[in-house]
Amino acid sequence: MASRASGAGKSRFSRDEARRDSDHVSFLKHRRFRWLWIALVLSGTAVLAYALIDQEPRPNGGTWLGYTLGTIGVLLILWLSLLGVRKRHITTGAWSLKAWTSAHVYLGLSLIVIGTLHTGFQVSWNVHTLAYVLMMVVILSGIWGVIAYATLPAHLSANRREMTRIEMLDALAALDRQLDSAAQPLERAEADLVLATLTQDIFHGGAWGRLTGSYPACATARALKAIGTGDEAHARVHALLDKRREQLAQIRGYLRIKALLEIWLFLHIPATIALIAALIAHVISVFYYW
Amino acid sequence: MAFLIRTIDFTASGREIIRDRVVEQAHLTVGRAAECDIHLPDLAVEQRHLALTLASDGTLRAEALGTLGFALDGRSVTEGVIDPGVGGEIALGSALIAAARDEAGRVTLTIRQAPAEEGKGDAVAGFALASALPSKRAASWVLASLILVLLLAVPVFTHATRTITPNDPDKITHGQTVLDAAWSTGALSVKHHALEENCESCHVNAFVSVRDETCISCHKGLGDHAAKPRLIAGMPELSSGDAALWKIAGMFGKEGRGACTTCHTEHEGKVRQQPASEAFCSDCHDKLDTRLTDTALANAHDFGKQHPQFRPTFYAAYGAKEPVRLSLDKKPVEQSGLIFPHDVHMDERGGAARMAISLAQYGAPLECKDCHAATADKISFKPVEMEQSCESCHSLVSGRGAGGFTSLRHGDVRKFREDIAGLRQGAARKPVGAARQRPGQFGEAGRYYAQFGRPVNAHISLARGLEKGGVCTECHLPTQTGGRADLVPVNLPDRFLMHGYFSHEAHKKEECTDCHAADKSKTANDLLIPDLASCRDCHLGATAQKTKKIVPSSCAMCHAYHVPSGQWSQSRSETTKGASSYVADARRAKGSDQ
Repeated sequence: MASRASGAGKSRFSRDEARRDSDHVSFLKHRRFRWLWIALVLSGTAVLAYALIDQEPRPNGGTWLGYTLGTIGVLLILWLSLLGVRKRHITTGAWSLKAWTSAHVYLGLSLIVIGTLHTGFQVSWNVHTLAYVLMMVVILSGIWGVIAYATLPAHLSANRREMTRIEMLDALAALDRQLDSAAQPLERAEADLVLATLTQDIFHGGAWGRLTGSYPACATARALKAIGTGDEAHARVHALLDKRREQLAQIRGYLRIKALLEIWLFLHIPATIALIAALIAHVISVFYYW
Repeated sequence: MAFLIRTIDFTASGREIIRDRVVEQAHLTVGRAAECDIHLPDLAVEQRHLALTLASDGTLRAEALGTLGFALDGRSVTEGVIDPGVGGEIALGSALIAAARDEAGRVTLTIRQAPAEEGKGDAVAGFALASALPSKRAASWVLASLILVLLLAVPVFTHATRTITPNDPDKITHGQTVLDAAWSTGALSVKHHALEENCESCHVNAFVSVRDETCISCHKGLGDHAAKPRLIAGMPELSSGDAALWKIAGMFGKEGRGACTTCHTEHEGKVRQQPASEAFCSDCHDKLDTRLTDTALANAHDFGKQHPQFRPTFYAAYGAKEPVRLSLDKKPVEQSGLIFPHDVHMDERGGAARMAISLAQYGAPLECKDCHAATADKISFKPVEMEQSCESCHSLVSGRGAGGFTSLRHGDVRKFREDIAGLRQGAARKPVGAARQRPGQFGEAGRYYAQFGRPVNAHISLARGLEKGGVCTECHLPTQTGGRADLVPVNLPDRFLMHGYFSHEAHKKEECTDCHAADKSKTANDLLIPDLASCRDCHLGATAQKTKKIVPSSCAMCHAYHVPSGQWSQSRSETTKGASSYVADARRAKGSDQ
């Protein structure tokens, strides 16, 4: 009995472990890389076909293999773009969102092979190459997205130092209030510098500033440079400004990591929609001028 | 060791009430309990929440007394140190306690209500990159609209609404379709490059593949390689992929495998049209007889390995109306109607050579080029003209006239008769009527002297000239036409191999006699066209190893696809040397002989 009970317990334990494992396994490793293998087989078949099948007069989108690869490519692109619809309905099972995402990543990567072979390595300044370039932008931004999601959240966590975003803003607000009172004894010019610091938008600098962490117009840095530590009042303001700079640096570090984490989607999504438009133009133009 | 505790409150009307009190101790408690030094009536605050201790070094130490922490400069902590010289702010519930040192050196604690937290959620949204970039949706709409309008709608609209103009190869204009350059899959070939800006010259109708009739509208006079049904029947079996593609293409109105565009693909870059590869020809001609069972053509796939014997076109019977085409293997006998032993003329020590040496025109033994002059294309030779090439030895001088020597006219027996009849030969004819001297040109032997006697001597000369041993039959064969003496007409084609072309220019380093055995030919019945084996001394198939002697030769070296006798070109199509024009020329020439 005991052994049966322990056996049943073990199997239940391992079953639960298996379920937990499957629940927590990354979409990249989903079902032991099932979609990676499918994508590899698809790409390998396409490469083999391209290498072995005689394409007259030269390989491009107009041979039967070219049309086949193009058809596979366009169907894949349309299906991959449906992730945007699918992700809003989270389900489990064979076609769980995780399975779908896994397929999205690996089949998307196989499009590099299929799309490139479809071109027959002919590129030029035209709508056809535009579609190809947009496809590559989508895929490369997707690759960046996967890498970013795998590596950057740890940095984001480290940067936060157990502060929430609201706390970061509160800390800055607290400093600002102190700065406001500490700066009361200052002369006009210096008071203006402090005022500029207090009124400047925390998030100024735009997307470029966020991505590079470069804020040449930072009023805090300017005020810090201009206000010395001559007397006690100045020293106090200087010390508060220094604290403000530190707090801003943390916020900006957060913004930078967040921007690197999110920027891919700002390429991925508009480029996908532009790609679908370019594909429509590509397919129609090819047959319009058959 | 004292604190200045300053409490700032607001009246209902918004007026500020400031209360100051000094606490002379180094340790303060903060909480909701009434006995605390700083009493905060706020349910979010513990009864005894926080202890503030002034350390000996002037710093202020804050420590949570319970389990709940507090915010020090925005950060949630349970303990912390404030340098009153710099300042610090403690948030507890809705109260903010700012610590600073005043002028007197006391630590001032200013207590006020925290500002309302409205809008904080919005501020947090600023952390997202979305707050610094245009929305993904807007960017998507803009990009997609730009692409669809500029790269699709504009070209489609301008193409559909244009006025169609017929193609004119001499006057190529810009197309009317706007922005369709973005549709071009690549630059056009060199010869079509002028059409780069005029897509609709070839792409006439929307969704209709480029038609043969459009190609022919400029490429006039371009012959078919074979009739289309036979052409397609002769083609090798398609792979299943290609068969499927053609089937689908056919459903959408593509013209099929025999169409111009099947071979002539465009937009492959600014390149020249390459000569067809050997494989291109051998695909069909390798085993053509298995697919076109009634074909007269022998299989061919490699000049060195499988190519039929040459079949020159020539006249096989004296005075024949039509030429025949016969394999050199069948030992053809040419019957052009001429008597011409090449060996006699080419023997450097023979009588002909001696004669030529004595003549200023030659000054040396005869060479081939003395009689045979190549045409401009260096493929065939101009007709040999008796007056230019033969007459300096084979003289037709008939006497001495007023302006010098008179000569019999060559080329037409009728004119020969007239010339002979006009000759004053032998004894003077008996005058008609009383003899009367006339002056000048009208006198005897003058140009306009009329003599009405019977031209007996002329008849005799005429008969002698045309009969065997006469002046004409040195080179011509005598015959009878309608009971009168005549000569066999000369049927000598300008060109013998009309389904391929041989560039004499490319072979100018060779001696003529290396290929044409003229120096050993005793009779004009020899057809001096070199055979396949002699060409193969140097020319083998395209895959042959190139050596000093061996020239790998693909089909296209001698054969053209559309015009068997040579490459098609715009100018050729206009000067009629197009498809099979040589045969037509030969027939025409022969017709005029009759």
